[in-house]
Amino acid sequence: MAEPQTVQQAYSIILRRNIETGAAPHYTELARLLHVTPDQARDIQRDAVAAAAGCWISHDTDYLHSIAPFSNLPTQYRVTVEGEQRWYGQCGLESLAVRWLFPGKEVRIDAPCLDCGEPIVVRMKDDEILEVDPPEAVGHTVASFMKRSTASSAYR
Amino acid sequence: MNLFRSEEHARNWSSFEPASADGIMPVADWARIFSGPLFRDRLDPGYLSRSGAGRAAFMQALADLGKTSDFWRPG
Repeated sequence: MAEPQTVQQAYSIILRRNIETGAAPHYTELARLLHVTPDQARDIQRDAVAAAAGCWISHDTDYLHSIAPFSNLPTQYRVTVEGEQRWYGQCGLESLAVRWLFPGKEVRIDAPCLDCGEPIVVRMKDDEILEVDPPEAVGHTVASFMKRSTASSAYR
Repeated sequence: MNLFRSEEHARNWSSFEPASADGIMPVADWARIFSGPLFRDRLDPGYLSRSGAGRAAFMQALADLGKTSDFWRPG
């Protein structure tokens, strides 16, 4: 396992790149930024994913699938910041935490309801929930967050 | 971990499991739960070293909303 400081540095680089561009860097790019070999960066990436809640690598690959609250793969949770749609939320609930990475900016979540396909909109800015449409919209988890990695239907 | 237009829609979802009914909450409550340090402090330089405390705060936020049943217990 890499030194904790290096793991934290990698985690911060990945998260900040996601904030800036809507996608995480490949580990070869992480290697250049950390001044290590690609193989070392791949291992550091795995350490960072293991150390942080809500992060994982796509099965049988070295591709970073999700670093909460974002998804590297498109999901139904489209995230728009200050009018620009560039990000995808990892899930409906983590989407509600995207606002903490964009302080002072309006964050909008657009998603279809998995039951009826009709739209759901949530707008937030820092601590303030500006809009929930429809107002009776709910979030649902199929398992406790500390168990969710074993719940196959947690992410749809 | 999904959003639905209402509780009725969540319960009507083809993959809904009745045992997970306690996992349905208004968006505003979920937004409050996702306001703890585990979610708010991700850009802090020492975030990973403090994630244990963040997880504890997360469980406390759930407990504050009465979410203390076996469903919420870490596995």
